[in-house]
Amino acid sequence: MFSYIAKRLAVAVPTLLLLIVLSFLLMHAAPGGPFTQERALPPQILANLEAKYGLDQPLWRQLASYVWGIVAHFDFGPSFIYKDRTVNEIIAQGFPVTLHYGTLSFLVAVLAGVSLGICAAIYHNSWLDYLAVGVSIGAQVLPNFVMAPILLLTFTYWLRWLPGGGWEDGQWPYLVMPVIALSTSFMASIARITRASMLEVLTSNHIRTARAKGLPERQVILRHALKPALLPVLSYLGPAFVTMITGSVVVDFYFSTGGIGKSFVDSALNRDYAVMLGITILVGALTILFNLVVDILYAWIDPKIRY
Amino acid sequence: MITDKARLQRFGDPMAGEEVRGRSLWADARRRFMRNRASLGGAIILVLITFLALFGDVLAVWSNEELDFAVMGQVADLGGPSIANGHYFGTDDLARDLYARTLQGTRISLMVGIVGAAIAVVVGTLYGAVSGYVGGRTDQVMMRIVDILLAIPFMFVIILLLVMFGRSILMLFLGIGLLSWLNMARIVRGQTLSLKHREFVEAARATGVPSFTIILRHIVPNLLGIVAVYATLLVPEMILIESFISFLGLGVQEPLTSLGALISEGAKTIYYGTLWQLGFPLVFFVLTLFAFFFVGDGLRDALDPKDR
Repeated sequence: MFSYIAKRLAVAVPTLLLLIVLSFLLMHAAPGGPFTQERALPPQILANLEAKYGLDQPLWRQLASYVWGIVAHFDFGPSFIYKDRTVNEIIAQGFPVTLHYGTLSFLVAVLAGVSLGICAAIYHNSWLDYLAVGVSIGAQVLPNFVMAPILLLTFTYWLRWLPGGGWEDGQWPYLVMPVIALSTSFMASIARITRASMLEVLTSNHIRTARAKGLPERQVILRHALKPALLPVLSYLGPAFVTMITGSVVVDFYFSTGGIGKSFVDSALNRDYAVMLGITILVGALTILFNLVVDILYAWIDPKIRY
Repeated sequence: MITDKARLQRFGDPMAGEEVRGRSLWADARRRFMRNRASLGGAIILVLITFLALFGDVLAVWSNEELDFAVMGQVADLGGPSIANGHYFGTDDLARDLYARTLQGTRISLMVGIVGAAIAVVVGTLYGAVSGYVGGRTDQVMMRIVDILLAIPFMFVIILLLVMFGRSILMLFLGIGLLSWLNMARIVRGQTLSLKHREFVEAARATGVPSFTIILRHIVPNLLGIVAVYATLLVPEMILIESFISFLGLGVQEPLTSLGALISEGAKTIYYGTLWQLGFPLVFFVLTLFAFFFVGDGLRDALDPKDR
């Protein structure tokens, strides 16, 4: 087990470094610098600015100090646009918000999706099954950037039940629509995966044995069928997490929740390279970490995996 | 034993006529696909949408760039869908004809989807087939590269690319192409591993066919079924990615448009009461995606040997 974790780590760490180096080089390959404006700055001021941000150093040294700053101090450097703020401060402002509604959406998606999938599989070919399949196909073609305006139109504009946006420290009226918009498509995918694998598991030999020895149906499903059926769902959670963070871009846009997605889009439109780079790397690191956790969980639950 | 010649003849005749004709894999698949009603419906919808996107402009009264000054400024009151003034789908908030713009957007979205899938097919198939066929250390290194690339948050990298190198459709294709082939390569590699020890490959190797020719002539044709399935499922995925980026305003730029850009415009003007501006592009978008998913599912049932 430990050698397995070590092996996964041996892949994860270089991946992360590669991600940092690649995005850093990408930023430097871009035409124009961070201070390129429509009216050119006087050369002396430009030189001073570049000296302040260390841009006059040779590329390898900039890269080395950037990587060192992240690895050793978790420091993404200063923002190029907001003179008085560092990338860390900008991330620290938006990230907890994203984490709040992201975690909630994640839980909702997993719980609702798994329950829906199991019910659909147990009552295979009944109206419940058809409903579950219908919902999951519908949610697949309605991405979150379509869901969000429809929700707004319905609940804020027509029914006037919920506030149209804002965060207010995550009070529930402000959370409802972001969570629905973010979780629906994942819930649908998870339901579909659970249903398919549950149907497969229910026809397998150990379930027949469990039924043959007269266990009540509830116990057959909860104790014997659920665990093997959830394995494919587990391996879906890694990619789902990434897509969910990407989805925060949409949620922040429509519901003005002010999460990390907003910082990313703002920095993209302002050409604030340092912030973009910082967020990309942070999300990449989280992705890699999450995939690692999922892999380890998978190996722990499924004894057939060889370490 | 009495042998009634006439009876024997009667018995034999239908059998002679019923010569068993060999069915190729593709003919078999076509039959299975045709029997699946949902995917057949999807295919028909897809043909209709493509036809409309390519030739629907013939019916348009307004071009996609003309401004209708009679409607301008009063779009919410006068710009609704009507046959009388030639705006079948109404106009957008700048009084441009939405029918022409929706067709244009559908064209571009379809193109992005198909080009993205095509890149995935060419690069992914070759990469996966080479990796699986050569095997050993090469295979390990090639697959490790794919694993590493898969761990990078690609949506963010595409946005990074688009911001830094300008918002051009070429950059969009490059970004989508970068990400689309990875899963394809993995699937193809898995299939190649199971193919490469089959007799026909052995025979080719014994007669001295060079490795690359074996891959192109003997491995790849046997992969086409599974590649076709995943390519069909990739198209809607690419359309979704493009729409997402266009929604952020970083994708296709004016005067070009895509379904994602139209939906985002429609969503932003929703409070002015111009619901048609969201509705019509959304219907095209949803129908196209639905159709592709159904066709892909049908193809998987018809072609994927695993599910027989």
